[in-house]
Amino acid sequence: MSKRKTLIKVKPNKFKNGDIVKVSFMVMHPMETGLRKDKKTGKFIPAEYIKNVKFEYNGKVFTNMNVWETLSVNPVLTTYMKVDGEGTIKVTFTDNEGTVEESSIKIKPKG
Amino acid sequence: MQRRDFLRGLSVAAASAVVVTPSMSFAADEKPKGSNALSYKEALAAVTGSKTPEVSKKIALKVPEIAENGAVVPVTVEVDHPMNEDDYVKSIHIFATKNGNSRCVDAHLSPANGKAMLSTRVKLGETQEVAALVELSNGTFLIASQSVKVTIGGCG
Repeated sequence: MSKRKTLIKVKPNKFKNGDIVKVSFMVMHPMETGLRKDKKTGKFIPAEYIKNVKFEYNGKVFTNMNVWETLSVNPVLTTYMKVDGEGTIKVTFTDNEGTVEESSIKIKPKG
Repeated sequence: MQRRDFLRGLSVAAASAVVVTPSMSFAADEKPKGSNALSYKEALAAVTGSKTPEVSKKIALKVPEIAENGAVVPVTVEVDHPMNEDDYVKSIHIFATKNGNSRCVDAHLSPANGKAMLSTRVKLGETQEVAALVELSNGTFLIASQSVKVTIGGCG
């Protein structure tokens, strides 16, 4: 299966060492509950949702989320993070079928 | 087209409609339960155990009062609590009280967050209350809830 489109955003754009920034993670995902019926065939669409989302900064987990199918289509998850020097933010997410995918960005504080 | 033909066609259409409706209502009756279905009370008990959460004004729960589309309801939870090494917000849980599976997100935070906040978008099946449960590092639970009016349900 092809990789899902993801996006990690850090707000505000300019930040210094020690600042607290907003980190949002977006993923293009159907978040199927498994209770919806296909209108053409009348069969249930199989469940497909994200189970776990893990936010890491320089290899250290700062937020770990358990997620259920009750989230909207293409979910957005936002939390705060304290900047501590240059580094990478890595987000790992696990599907209900156990497929693990990850995406990361590099951040560089100014001043 | 003759008036007679038109009326005959109309009666045939009405008869077929009568045949279709009972089967449709039957299909709507047997709504399946999801594999993760868990009621709000059970979900709350699973997190808090024997402790009773305390209603607190420290939690700022931002949910629209009227959600036109239940499929996308933005929810933001902010907790006014310091995030020190020995005193911090351990986790934030969001529950939709009347959904089949009432659990939405469990976010486990750490002092590295700096500020305790969680923001996401949830699906709501009907008009109901959205609750935010917060666990502090010393083991106490805080809770806040707000009702949301849903015009069009978003689950199935």
